[in-house]
This record gives sequence, structure tokens and C-alpha cells, in this order.
Amino acid sequence: MKYLVTDDSKLARLSLIKSLKAHVEDAEIFQATNGAEAVELVKSEKPDIAFLDLTMPVMDGYEALPLMLEAHQKLKVIVVSADIQERAKTMVIELGAQLHVQKPINADKMQEILELI
Amino acid sequence: MNTITLTEDEQDVLQELMNVAYGNATAVVAEMLDAFASLSIPNIKVMETSELLHQFQSLKGESYFFSTQAFVGEFSGESAFFIDNVSAKNLSTHLELESEEDLDDAILELTNVLTSSLTTRLAQEMDTQVKFSLPSISKIPLAEISNNQTFQQYSQVIVIDTQLNFEDQKINGEIFILTKDGSIQWLKNQLNSILEALM
Repeated sequence: MKYLVTDDSKLARLSLIKSLKAHVEDAEIFQATNGAEAVELVKSEKPDIAFLDLTMPVMDGYEALPLMLEAHQKLKVIVVSADIQERAKTMVIELGAQLHVQKPINADKMQEILELI
Repeated sequence: MNTITLTEDEQDVLQELMNVAYGNATAVVAEMLDAFASLSIPNIKVMETSELLHQFQSLKGESYFFSTQAFVGEFSGESAFFIDNVSAKNLSTHLELESEEDLDDAILELTNVLTSSLTTRLAQEMDTQVKFSLPSISKIPLAEISNNQTFQQYSQVIVIDTQLNFEDQKINGEIFILTKDGSIQWLKNQLNSILEALM
């Protein structure tokens, strides 16, 4: 399976990738540091699952999410964000995300995510 | 005086921890105000106290509400919150407040909820706890900021600066978290430990 991890923070990307590797062997993982890079990687690599932050420079997650789904309709997007306001959760689901998950992600939370999708 | 620097990795870790803490604090305040806030990327800088005071004074608008709340523990410092007159007026309208006294009270409560939940969560992310040393929050006129005794405790500070922005209600605020000199090495060690655990 191919995974795309998008976050402007190196810490957030490393933390998420470590949790992912704890559950998935042979994962092919791509990294993006903003929404614009994520859209390009979705177009070129066609990942199966994308983890997407919301608050990022250049292009935020709200803008990137529909563009990513437009580029690859089978993509499953998991929004991973510190923004836990109800409206933020509703907005990303309406934009097509499968899940909204609160940061930070640990191995237990990753297991729950992978079971849900 | 030794000059403090944060490496790129230390800045990244602190920014991400702040992002998580701020997201949490914003959700609490958004629920309190029944409004939706847009989150911004925290800005992290190391600066001398004189530079910080200059930055405070250069904030646009002549009359700001400025409130501070000190915290102590392994991670010690002070959080400061600015809100301008227009935002204060919009807050008053949004909450249907009738007097200036009620507005003062609402701003102090907003500051209290925002800064205490933010600092508590930030400390939690760094595996420590803080105690808030002052029982109440003071409102300081902008012109008197440099006389604020608490700023005399700092030589250089790590400043974490972020915006509180309720777009629909046109309420904007700015939050600063200042780290005391004695806590800076501890903070750097914690940030590096967090990163090393992932390597």
C-alpha cells in the first residue's frame, strides 16, 4: 500500500510514520510539507491513503483536500489536526475526508484509524 | 550574557507542540463564545526582552487590552494576551454585554481560559506540569508595559506568538508565551528528547 503523510512539521511526520510502521509492514510512504506538494504527489504517485494536516503554509488542508480527491478518486484521506472544533470536523468530512483525528497520533490511535478505514 | 539559539529541529518540535496545545485551547474558547476560530501557524522567536517590549509597543492600535498570567514549574514563564479596541467592542456585541465593567470581566475570563488551557496542554505535551502563580490576571495599559515588573525577570526570551481569530465575529487577539531564562535549557532538553525518541 502507498501512504502519503502531509504536515509542515517534521516532528508530526516522524511521529505519524513511526506509528504507521508499527502496524503496517512494507508500507511505501511519501512525505509532503504542504497542501500543494500533497496534490502533486497524489497526481504522480496515486497513494491509497493520505494523512493530511490542516494548518500549513503555501496551501492548507482545506484547500488541498478537494484537489487531492479530484486528482485520485479512490484516495482515502484522514485529516490529522490540532483543530478539534466541531465545525472543523464537519467541514473536512463534507469536503470528502474519511476521518478527522486529533493530533498527536500514537501507535494505539493509528491502530484504531487503520481498523476504521 | 550567553546568546540563546534554537536549532531548526528544536523550533519545529516547539511549533508542533504549540500547534497541538493551541488547537485544544481554541476549541475550549470557541465553545465558550459559540464561534468558530481559524487557526494560524505559531511563530517562534528568540529575542532580548527590550526587543519584545518594542514589539509589544509597535502593535497597531493605540489602545489595547493587555493581560498576563504567570506560570511556574520546570517550565516557567508568562503568557500575555492582546486584544484591540475594535475586537473588544465586537466581543461585547457578540456576548450582548451591557457595561464596560462586564467587558473587562469577559476579556479577563477569555484570557484566563485561553492562556491556562494553552499553557497546561503545552506543559503536558512536554511531560511536565505548571502552576499558575497569580490568582488573578491584570489588565495593563499599553503605555505602561515596559514598567511591568514581571518582564524584569527575563534577559532573553523564547517567544511563541500566535493569533486568535474569530473571522465571523471580527475578534482578533494575539498570544505570547514567554519562557523564563532558567527554563530555557530545560525546554531545549525536552524538545531534543521528544525528537530523539522518534529517531
